[in-house]
Amino acid sequence: MLRRLTPYLFALPLLSFIAVFTYIPILQSLNLSFREWDFLSPTKPFVGLDNYRLLLDSREFWNALTVTSIFAVISVPLRLLLALFIASRLLRETLVSRLMRGALFLPSVTSTVAIAVVFSWVFSTDYGMMNALLTGLGFSKVAWLQEPQLALGVLIFVNTWKQLGYDIIIYIAGLQAIPGELYDAAAVDGGKRGHVFRRVTVPLVMPTTYFLLMISVIEAFQVFTIVDVMTGGGPAGATDMLVNMLYRVGFTLFDIGLGSALAVLLFIFLIALAIFKARVLGRKVHYEA
Amino acid sequence: MIANKYKISVAALVALLGSTVLASAEIKVEFWHSFGGVAGAALDQIIDNFEAENPDITIEAQEIGNYNDIVTKLQAAIPARRAPDAVIMEVTRYGLFADRDVLLDLTDYVEADPLKDDLYNFAREVGVFEGKNYIVPFNSSTPVLYYNKAIFEQAGLGTHTPLKTYDDLLAASKQITEKLGDDGITGIAAPGQFARWGLIMDNDSDLIDSVSGEILLDAPNTIEAYEFMASLVHEHKVASPDGVTKENNGRDAFLAGKVGMMINSTGNYGRSTSALGDDLVVLPMPCNKVCAVPIGGAGIGILSTSEKEVQDAAYKFVSFAASPESNALWFSETGYMPINKYTPEQPLAAAALAEKPGIGVAIGQLDFARGRPRPPVVTWMRASEYDMWQAMALGQRDVSEVLTEFAERTRAEAERLKR
Amino acid sequence: MKPENPLLALLALTAGVLFLSPVLYSIWMSFQTADAYYTGKLDFTLSNYEMAIGQYNFARYLLNSVIVSGLVTIVGLAVATMAAFAFARYRFPGGNLMFGAVVATLMIPSHITLIPNYLTLANAGLLDTYAGLILPAISNGFAAFFLRQYIRGIPRALDEAAYMDGATPLQVLWRVIVPIAKPAILSMGLYIFITEWNNYIWPLVAVGREDLYTLQIGLARLYRIDPGEGVINWPLVMAASTITILPVLLGFIFVERHLVRGIMMGAVK
Repeated sequence: MLRRLTPYLFALPLLSFIAVFTYIPILQSLNLSFREWDFLSPTKPFVGLDNYRLLLDSREFWNALTVTSIFAVISVPLRLLLALFIASRLLRETLVSRLMRGALFLPSVTSTVAIAVVFSWVFSTDYGMMNALLTGLGFSKVAWLQEPQLALGVLIFVNTWKQLGYDIIIYIAGLQAIPGELYDAAAVDGGKRGHVFRRVTVPLVMPTTYFLLMISVIEAFQVFTIVDVMTGGGPAGATDMLVNMLYRVGFTLFDIGLGSALAVLLFIFLIALAIFKARVLGRKVHYEA
Repeated sequence: MIANKYKISVAALVALLGSTVLASAEIKVEFWHSFGGVAGAALDQIIDNFEAENPDITIEAQEIGNYNDIVTKLQAAIPARRAPDAVIMEVTRYGLFADRDVLLDLTDYVEADPLKDDLYNFAREVGVFEGKNYIVPFNSSTPVLYYNKAIFEQAGLGTHTPLKTYDDLLAASKQITEKLGDDGITGIAAPGQFARWGLIMDNDSDLIDSVSGEILLDAPNTIEAYEFMASLVHEHKVASPDGVTKENNGRDAFLAGKVGMMINSTGNYGRSTSALGDDLVVLPMPCNKVCAVPIGGAGIGILSTSEKEVQDAAYKFVSFAASPESNALWFSETGYMPINKYTPEQPLAAAALAEKPGIGVAIGQLDFARGRPRPPVVTWMRASEYDMWQAMALGQRDVSEVLTEFAERTRAEAERLKR
Repeated sequence: MKPENPLLALLALTAGVLFLSPVLYSIWMSFQTADAYYTGKLDFTLSNYEMAIGQYNFARYLLNSVIVSGLVTIVGLAVATMAAFAFARYRFPGGNLMFGAVVATLMIPSHITLIPNYLTLANAGLLDTYAGLILPAISNGFAAFFLRQYIRGIPRALDEAAYMDGATPLQVLWRVIVPIAKPAILSMGLYIFITEWNNYIWPLVAVGREDLYTLQIGLARLYRIDPGEGVINWPLVMAASTITILPVLLGFIFVERHLVRGIMMGAVK
């Protein structure tokens, strides 16, 4: 009897944590998204789809969705292209390339809050490093974090700076898995360096690219810390991304129903993306590789 | 006989023990507030005085942040049952908490307290929501116009400069920015929310009607007022956008001598004199269409979840903090207005009025000061107004479009909250 | 290692330093007095650190971060290793489903649990406690998945031999599997520790008491409240930021290879 129970006993602690803090909360969010509550009232009246309707009618939601999409559409390809390019230069196991990998990788394990604070200084109008450079070169100061378009650009820059090293490491792993003979064959065929890169490297590293594409899109849709620390979603909502909006609606406006509805929509979207990855892209990768 | 004696001595012993137990059973009152710096020190002094008079009560004061932070933290604390016993609540934003019975109805306490006859009417009124008393005033304020005399003189302005209308403000701000812009000095601080409310009242309008509670965000005069305020930042560039994205930046730049004028609560008087000294000049608010100012500040509320004896102790403190002695100390240190009729007679207050130029300006405005209603929706409206203001001030969106939409949403939100 | 073209090496190193220059400069700035910084003079001082640690309580935040990240790592690893052992070594009814449920958590965005977890811990009276910070972070689907793959690669013959000697399953796990899987477990430990060290949104909602702030919350708050009325005291903020970065930075220098290997292994699987 005990022997049969053994695997369950081993798995039980993890499964109970997952149940209590991941799966049950999904159901709770779903439940709360059909209700109206502000933490204060003793009751949570059922309001059907009102919260979803309110959300889809609100300018904030579409703004946050647009901003987040712009963030993802710019920052994801930027990260991947840069990372693939740099990774392909850092393949050799030399001291310099190892030091470079270390330097590039460092930000991705560093505190995001600290990075956000440091870059708030870099881009601060009066005492920042960027404006010191600009004025040194004879240009006038730029209000990086007060100009709506610039502020989003700054966030994309900081996020790329932080995550790039991780992408590079993954690409190096992917590139190192490519058999050397393929390169030799391409070289024998008289391929130029750029040609080999396009015809051999890029297709063969596709599975890695898809992996990175998925995780960086999912990440982009969950960006919060740099937004909260650097801009708070401002100026004028220009950097108000979805999770930032969720935090604001949930924990400063305490519209728990609306916040839950937003969480559920975002959840459905990201899960759909993950399934899309597994089904469609997964197959495509196998055909090509 | 012996038995009786025994009984008596036991009774005496019990009484003795009982009283020592009571005396040593200190009552702790957890109190959340929003005062740092000069004001924080003054509050500590008031608390020390209270504890000296009431050795059985300890006030555990915690500075939480600004009024917004307190509202947020209190609301988050309710489901966690970790709310304090007493809390500073801004005068327009406690309605939600009163409506939801988070705050204790203090009417009986106030009725039994001689203090009720000593408070100025304007001050007593701020604590009343739907006919019941939920907070007792502690710090009352109206916005005033501060300017930096040194900057004014360098820009060729002075006491003769008119500062009555929007146009006057703009002209002076322009002159400062033009003359001193190269030194990094701008004309005026971007108005904070309290100042915005004041400037809207000056334009003979309001955010929400003080009598009927009607939402006036999209009234023509409100739109005109916002258009003027926004133009200071994005059109005329006489106010720095730094103060738009972060309200305190405007104030801090004024304190640092980087800004010529600032409209802000009289509660900043203490802080401003200590930063600018004799260069600080205080004037009444402009009167663009009419003279009108909002009454701001906060009072202390008591949580309905606390135990009765803690609530009693908390009320003792609340009443003490509004006494002439405490209020005079508070007024003279911070510049918040007297709320107690007997405060001005206090030596501290009299000395402040005689010696501190400008500290009385806010009081002078009481003749045309308006109370503001505090239905539950105000909490939501004020929390949401910041983003609207940013969009307008940074020139992202058309002012009347923003306000029309905001008014609609606020009305809808008010409906939802009523349910 | 092959010798390198010195010019190329120099170029690469310059690029690396340039890349990290904001952080390097911020560390440098943290040793300047505020006055010296704003006037452009040089003046080495430790006063910013004294202020951050003393007046602004960063010693306490550091301790909190160590306690929280440390416990999350230890308990998280234990829980993940046990589950990984069950999934790698046993076939049992519901086992696949359970493993699927664990792997699926990798796809579940954490924000959906934010409000409910807040309420769960509020009801349990665990907000504003270490437990409240730690419990929701314990389960780590990635670690369980990764360790399960690793344990499957360990020959079963080793388990069998131990069972023959009369070992219990727990003893097999502890004496046979764990020693062999040590590199993988360490990699995952680092991964969990760093993730938790840098965690921001959960402590932000779960902790209101100042004495329970983690470094991340303390730093964000210090930056936001602008100590030094008027202008931000950047050198002080940078000292606090350096305190926040440093433990991971130092650890990184020692264990970079483990960490990188762990991430690579995880990605290639």
